[in-house]
Amino acid sequence: MGKIITIDPVTRISGFLEIQAEVEENIIVKANASGLLFRGFEKMLKGRPPLDAIFFTERICGICSTAHAFASAVALEDALKIPVRINDRYIRDIIHGFEFIQNHLRHFYILTLPSYVKITSLKLVADQDYSDFRLPEEINNKIEEHYLKSIEFSRLAHEGAAILGGKTPHNHGIFVGGVTVIMDAYKLEKVKAIINNIKAFVSTAMLEDVGIISEYYSDYFEKGKSYPNFMSFGTFNSYEEKDISYVGAGVMINGTRYPLNAEKITEQVQYSWFNNNQVTEEVNINKPDAYSFIKTPRYENYPMEVGPLARLILTGEYTNGNSCMDRIIARVLETNKILNIIENLADRLELLPSSQSAYQIPQSAYGVALVDTTRGALGHWIQIDNQVINHYNIITPSVWNLSPKDVDGSPGIVERALIGSTINNIKEPIEIGRIVRAFDPCISCATHLIGKDKGVHVVEVLV
Amino acid sequence: MIDDKSKNKMNAIWLEATGCSGNMISFLNSENPGLYQILTNIINLTYNNTLMGAEGDYAFEKFLETLETEFILLVDGAISVKDNGQYTIVANYKGKKITALEAVKMAAEKAKYVIAVGTCASYGGISAARPNPSESKSLQDILTRLVIRLPGCPCHPDWVVGTLAHLVGYGVPELDEEGRPLIFYGVTIHDNCTRRGFFERGIFASKFGEEGCMIRLGCRGPITQTDCPRRKWNGYVNWPIGANTNCIGCAQPGFPDGTEPFVRY
Repeated sequence: MGKIITIDPVTRISGFLEIQAEVEENIIVKANASGLLFRGFEKMLKGRPPLDAIFFTERICGICSTAHAFASAVALEDALKIPVRINDRYIRDIIHGFEFIQNHLRHFYILTLPSYVKITSLKLVADQDYSDFRLPEEINNKIEEHYLKSIEFSRLAHEGAAILGGKTPHNHGIFVGGVTVIMDAYKLEKVKAIINNIKAFVSTAMLEDVGIISEYYSDYFEKGKSYPNFMSFGTFNSYEEKDISYVGAGVMINGTRYPLNAEKITEQVQYSWFNNNQVTEEVNINKPDAYSFIKTPRYENYPMEVGPLARLILTGEYTNGNSCMDRIIARVLETNKILNIIENLADRLELLPSSQSAYQIPQSAYGVALVDTTRGALGHWIQIDNQVINHYNIITPSVWNLSPKDVDGSPGIVERALIGSTINNIKEPIEIGRIVRAFDPCISCATHLIGKDKGVHVVEVLV
Repeated sequence: MIDDKSKNKMNAIWLEATGCSGNMISFLNSENPGLYQILTNIINLTYNNTLMGAEGDYAFEKFLETLETEFILLVDGAISVKDNGQYTIVANYKGKKITALEAVKMAAEKAKYVIAVGTCASYGGISAARPNPSESKSLQDILTRLVIRLPGCPCHPDWVVGTLAHLVGYGVPELDEEGRPLIFYGVTIHDNCTRRGFFERGIFASKFGEEGCMIRLGCRGPITQTDCPRRKWNGYVNWPIGANTNCIGCAQPGFPDGTEPFVRY
């Protein structure tokens, strides 16, 4: 048996995560990722008014709340058969785009870089137990300046979302039927100016910084490789024009691309703290062998990586590999790409009044939303009975990436990325945090319960 | 040890518990002072899961060291007490799992001031929504000492920064009977609403996206005490009513169960 390394808390992520890694001769041979936060949103949503799901589910997550509002609105529109006009889809995608930008700026500078760059001006960030910082002083100082500047630009991205949606986190402007904003020339110019200001920073500082990091830490192209399986539910994919489109739904398994078939998604709880019986699942923190609140989703029994790298691999724009450093680079490239898309969307906007209606809730209805968001593929499923929510199921991107082992013993995506990676200095296992953070884990999103009841045809609980 | 070179700056722990960490994200949106100025001029933040450089045991040591100094405790999220708090584990320190419940109790006992940031920490909030599977409670529910409550889902960054600045420079600000600073929570949204004139003239919106008072859609402005209408959000550009949607009472005790439905036609 090798040396066991436990890192808990894995800081600079959203929520609580523990990593236990077993290391033999400086190579990780076994890894367990444990999500350590549970609230039970699906249970809370039962019996609530269906339209409330939008503002309710966005409170699952502080950093990606708009994603849940977006998915929830799409699921309700599917259930209530409400069309959304194109101008409102543009606006909604711009709000969602601002969330991507906010998230990626914060993830790259505030969460990722302190493991590669010495942030000496903030004691909270500087104080670390590691010494593997490789940048020459002058370069380090320049990137540290960008770290501090990025705080203003991520704030500005949220300001852009607030112009169109009231406030954020927990935006009000995305709703069933589209959006609630009454667009005017001033709001539009303000949004465009914000996009421009952020673009100037990303296209110079951020792209250059990730280039420097990948040069000085080039061994991270060999660390953190996971399965060659990638999935996206599609994002910025409802338009014909290329300049406002990104990625459609699809999967890639061992190098071959297939259309997405959501019926191939299953979930297991073998290593999760849930008991499974015929009716519902209940938490059982004493369950033998279980080690996480996160469940194990699989696609045709394959673990699937989701997120920026998966998206860029699926579009064919990124072909370098699937290592720790590839994930970091992909997130930065995607930031630039989405800024261009929302700039082009803003150019198409018309100044139309709101198209909201007084929406009536049917006795029974069922709706699905499969959308891609900052961290990857997000699914919301709603079953309405007696005009209230009977079942509401959510599978978030971080569930895909952070899942524990499956019934066959195959590790989850993050676990697999750790296995086989070399720890250069066993006394300072900084590699583990670097590899895990590159996935942008969000544990507040990742833990959830699923019922097996009718209405959720797509999810079959196996174990 | 955590050294504190500035006389005016007080140490602070920002502990994320059973929630979405949205109050920390909102805090990052603070502007003049921005994050850098807050952390260099107002408080010396020694522990926070989202921002800190350290990880693992070394990170939690910063938490423990701070307990021996004069410090402010900020808590973001409710406190889950189900199964002894094991639904929220904030650290595994030298082989011992530390629950949020345990960490909060340890720190609150020694803190000079305790602040509940956001509605979950203040009143239970979304984390405690029925049937409350994690048995989440408010900070005040598990503590006997004074808790300053800064509700809001999320909490506006100004409400946190203003309270911190007051504590560090002038002591405890004037609070209402629930522990909310009067400077931010003294009047209802309805009192200062930008659409109050519509209410007085009887002009009411019948759906989102319309001008008019939204009280008939279920606006919770009349019972919700914050300064949102005057302060606004995110660079002071907008707020929910500015987006033609009603207030859902996210800063009120009883949110969300007591403020449902969020909208009715």
